[in-house]
Amino acid sequence: MHWWIRDFPARQREAISEAITTGSLAKVRRALRLIQELAVEQQGPPLTVELLSTYNLEPILPVLELGLKCLPTCPKVELAPLNDLEGHIVRSVPRRADEASARIVLWRIEEILPGVLFPLSSGFPEQLTAQVDEAISRAEGIVHLHQRHAPGTPLFLSTAPFPLHFANPVFAAQHSSGPLGAVERFNRHVRELAATHQSVYVLDVCAWAAALGKSYSDSLFDLMARQPLTPEGQMAFALFLARSLRPLIFPRRKVLAVDLDNTLWGGVVGEDGIAGLQLGHDFPGNVHLRIQRELLELRNRGALLVLLSKNNEADARLAFDSLPDMLLKWDDFAVRKVNWEHKHENLRAASRELGLGLDSFVFLDDSDYEREQMRQLIPEIQILNESGDALQILRALWETDAFDSLAISDEDRMRHRDYSVRAARDVQGHENDLQAFLESLEMEVAIEQVNPSNLERVATMLGKTNQFNLTTRRHSRAEVQQLASQPGSVALALRLRDKFGDQGIVAVLLAQSGQNGQASLTIDTFLVSCRALGRGVEDALWAALIARAREQKVQKLEAIYIPTPKNTIVAELYDRLGLRRVEGSSSGTRYVLEPVAPATWPAWISNKNGNE
Amino acid sequence: MSDHDELRNLLIDFFGLSSAVQNEELSQSSLPAWDSLAMVQLIGELQSTFGVEFDLDQIQALRSYSEIRECLSRKGVNLAG
Repeated sequence: MHWWIRDFPARQREAISEAITTGSLAKVRRALRLIQELAVEQQGPPLTVELLSTYNLEPILPVLELGLKCLPTCPKVELAPLNDLEGHIVRSVPRRADEASARIVLWRIEEILPGVLFPLSSGFPEQLTAQVDEAISRAEGIVHLHQRHAPGTPLFLSTAPFPLHFANPVFAAQHSSGPLGAVERFNRHVRELAATHQSVYVLDVCAWAAALGKSYSDSLFDLMARQPLTPEGQMAFALFLARSLRPLIFPRRKVLAVDLDNTLWGGVVGEDGIAGLQLGHDFPGNVHLRIQRELLELRNRGALLVLLSKNNEADARLAFDSLPDMLLKWDDFAVRKVNWEHKHENLRAASRELGLGLDSFVFLDDSDYEREQMRQLIPEIQILNESGDALQILRALWETDAFDSLAISDEDRMRHRDYSVRAARDVQGHENDLQAFLESLEMEVAIEQVNPSNLERVATMLGKTNQFNLTTRRHSRAEVQQLASQPGSVALALRLRDKFGDQGIVAVLLAQSGQNGQASLTIDTFLVSCRALGRGVEDALWAALIARAREQKVQKLEAIYIPTPKNTIVAELYDRLGLRRVEGSSSGTRYVLEPVAPATWPAWISNKNGNE
Repeated sequence: MSDHDELRNLLIDFFGLSSAVQNEELSQSSLPAWDSLAMVQLIGELQSTFGVEFDLDQIQALRSYSEIRECLSRKGVNLAG
């Protein structure tokens, strides 16, 4: 729902959210009034919804209307007289072919088959079975009447919810013509009608009510006004109805761009190695396997999959080929972007390659940072998940309406009605956007000395960081401690906080004084955790080092990049930081900085230590 | 009459009335919109706002601001105003 209403101005959006959370009718009316104040083109395309019902929907019309307005559409809701299904269809005037409309038939056994609530008073079982047969014929008759009088208008037949208010459910469970069996028979027939008739669909009120449980209905309201829904149930019903009609107006999204690490499998292939990844039939690897199953199903339903991952392609490829439980194949992805570029750049490239607009894309990623960057830099994109937790990702895949469709033919027929309430967005100026994005993260950094309180974390990072790691030296705790306590050495840990919370220590830099006394410093280790890549923390840590070196009157800084199969991302880091290459050695590329010129602290990161 | 009278505000919002309305006018007999259908929704709104449940006898005696107020305070709802 929050996705649907994203283009409304903030005032309307907040009022709608409040109405939906509280379910209060006064708040619903207020939200409706505020939406009414908007220009027509901001309200969404017109949609006529005709409601034919055996229970009383009149009291909840404003709520239903709000649900439809969220889509967003400009709805005209027409309510047929209570329980006048056939009569209303016969009297109705056919709609123009270009008018987006839907007719919805809502019924319950309380009205169409009241006898089944009192089976023993209603001729159980033979006569009761005959009554169910009659209700089924009535449903058939309604479909035929509709096709004769309103051909082309989509017809939604509701399933009947299981009755909540009747006695002796234990007995009812035993018989096919009791209150429960009768509902099942009737509903099965509704599904068959939809399957065998053009433009007839099922509105599965039975499944909806079952998912909500007892809280959707209240016998007091039902008996007072033949309106069974609780305030909570009314709002949920309105959103359910809106979601069911949405595919008539809005085309489904066509592409899902997915992340790799901590999404398709648990763990980070570049850090943990293939043996360290979680994927399989045991928890939690089964969560990731299930995510893959859902993605494969989505692909088989016609959505395109795009792989967006910050990794060395060879590492990712190897994991696809060698993980025994890998369900998705490398070729299941229409486009693969496995590299160190920004994901928004990769996504734009994928959009060009596929010839599909950015508004056809949905994005799934476990990283708060990546999702936020995508949200800000490509506003058209729909972000699938709100949390990086694998189970939440799986639930998001179950719950998303991004790929909803009723049937291909109708959708194709109505797609030209899709229209966008969004203005064309400028796709230029990405660099400025990126800067603004980094600023919006509200990053705050504290530079700490490596000391007993952070030693454990520092040693762990030295032991497992593979990608942003210039030397990949796996020092033990004792070695780190020893290095840090040498006179003239600099041992720094960077702690990051951003608007998502405390990220802990994410970068480490160790340097020791050179052979010619304290006048020179040699960088032993410089690393950044893969969780903090692309945010400029390395520049902050570098600036802190340079400030420290200048304080200590260091004249010359020496560094080395030792290449490994995993750390190509930093092959040119020292060039970028302004160091000069000196003679190479067999083990790596050597650099010097002499004299030690001041370095700039990145403007988008605030420094908790003050002026470095 | 106070801005902090939550029941009064609820009724004004619910029926979309002017804030100048007198409490005496907040009754089923003076408001045509307060029909039996509105009554159902109003009870839902009162129940969820004040966290109470009404029984049948009480529902039949919720025909005005003062009756509702009386009923709510008997249920221990602390109403300002």
